[in-house]
Amino acid sequence: MEKGGIAMENTTEDIVLDIRGQICPACLLITLSELNSNRERLTEASARLVIKTDHRDATRTIPGAALAMGYGVAVTQKERYYEITLEHKK
Amino acid sequence: MSETGEFLEADLRASSESLKKYIRDKVNHLLSVMGTKPLDEEELDDNTLIELDPIGIIARSFEQILEHQRETNRRLTVAKDQLQAVFDTVGVCISIIDEDMRIVNCNEKQKDLLVSANTSVIGKHCYEIYCGKDSPSLDCPAVETLATGKPVFIREVEKKDRHFQIVTSPLKDENGKVTGVIEVSIDVTEKKKAERLMRQAEKLTAIGLLAGGIAHELNNPLGNIIGYATLLLKDKQSGLRPDRREKLEIIVEQAKKGSEIIKGLLDFSRQSVPSFSDVRLNEIIRKTIRTLQNRISLQKIKIDIELAEKLIVRADPRQIELVVLNLLLNSVQAFEGIKRKDKVISIKTGRENNLIQVRIADNGPGIPEEILPGIFDPFFTTKPIGKGVGLGLSICSGIIREHKGSIRVRSESGKGTEFIFTLPAMASKTG
Repeated sequence: MEKGGIAMENTTEDIVLDIRGQICPACLLITLSELNSNRERLTEASARLVIKTDHRDATRTIPGAALAMGYGVAVTQKERYYEITLEHKK
Repeated sequence: MSETGEFLEADLRASSESLKKYIRDKVNHLLSVMGTKPLDEEELDDNTLIELDPIGIIARSFEQILEHQRETNRRLTVAKDQLQAVFDTVGVCISIIDEDMRIVNCNEKQKDLLVSANTSVIGKHCYEIYCGKDSPSLDCPAVETLATGKPVFIREVEKKDRHFQIVTSPLKDENGKVTGVIEVSIDVTEKKKAERLMRQAEKLTAIGLLAGGIAHELNNPLGNIIGYATLLLKDKQSGLRPDRREKLEIIVEQAKKGSEIIKGLLDFSRQSVPSFSDVRLNEIIRKTIRTLQNRISLQKIKIDIELAEKLIVRADPRQIELVVLNLLLNSVQAFEGIKRKDKVISIKTGRENNLIQVRIADNGPGIPEEILPGIFDPFFTTKPIGKGVGLGLSICSGIIREHKGSIRVRSESGKGTEFIFTLPAMASKTG
């Protein structure tokens, strides 16, 4: 699992969480932990969480939980993995 | 290690295993709530699991879910209040009706127009509340929409003496089954009234043109008849026998009656051009009362006068006098053949903003409701043949309209009639 990789786009910071190689439910637990620890920045929309996962189930479980917590979700299929972006709308 | 030590260690190990199993079970339970599958022991062994603190993670996540739910509820409440405000203040009637024709909800406009005060409507049959019937009518659009699942538009329907245009749209469940109807009604009563007045105005214009033309053409020959007949009557050399003189007098009298009718027609068709000047309305009223004083006294009618001071209008005094005379005469005639001691005609004038109002009311028998809409039409009369041609009120209406005022009538059977006309007030000369 690789964590960090901060990228800036406009004024929103990307917190990148690379959990390729992990399967559910660990993917979900790790993502939830990240959402909890960055809750303030994510809520005030100064940052968004970008998750890289190669576990297909995670594209269902992570968006489901994130939507229930009020995040906007976008899932993009990359060449060998999925990218899930979670962010609060400004 | 002693036997006791071994026993304690086994006991602790058993407790630890039981605790780990409890934690794993609880985590799996919470994960199933979050919509994911149970923990895989090969991926996360007990120690890694405890280190990850999954219950803490999920608890904090639930905190976020709860906060999001609270915010969503707050927004929903605001949206619901806004929607309710729009629902209630929109200028059309809206009703939600279920498949048993019972009212699920309706807006304030609907209640204002079709529901009696303090009547509870929710759960009641719509045909009972809105139409005053005990079953839906055959052409009810809601019934058709419930049966066909399609919207229905009705150009005009009458409910409780008001006229509506109605659109009904189906409400469907997730399987497409019709579960109710949304009924939107637009009150077109005032529009219909305006259309009727427009038609009446057009009719009056046409009749006015025709009547004016005919009257003008008849005026000259009638004048000649009266003139020559009068000459004959005055000619002492003519040697007319008394019976022929009597017949000639009848000719003059009838021709004069014809001439009066023609004068009325010319007034109605406005071929006499109004001559505007500053008019003291109260003086006109007093003068008109004096003109009719003989008839008023003869019929023992009491006149109540309440005149506001110094009311001046820009008007044709002769025409306004004609209006007051016609209305007052109407009130006097209302008492004809009635033997009562409390016959009263009240005349009031007043000023409201930039309008001067004159009210002439009597406590006579009133005008039947069914003929009330037509009383300003030309040739409309309830008097016997020969007693009137039915031009008086239409002339009044035409004169008042020409003076940029309005005239209306209120009447209740057995209680009396009130004519109210308004004229624009002079801006600075009143007081």
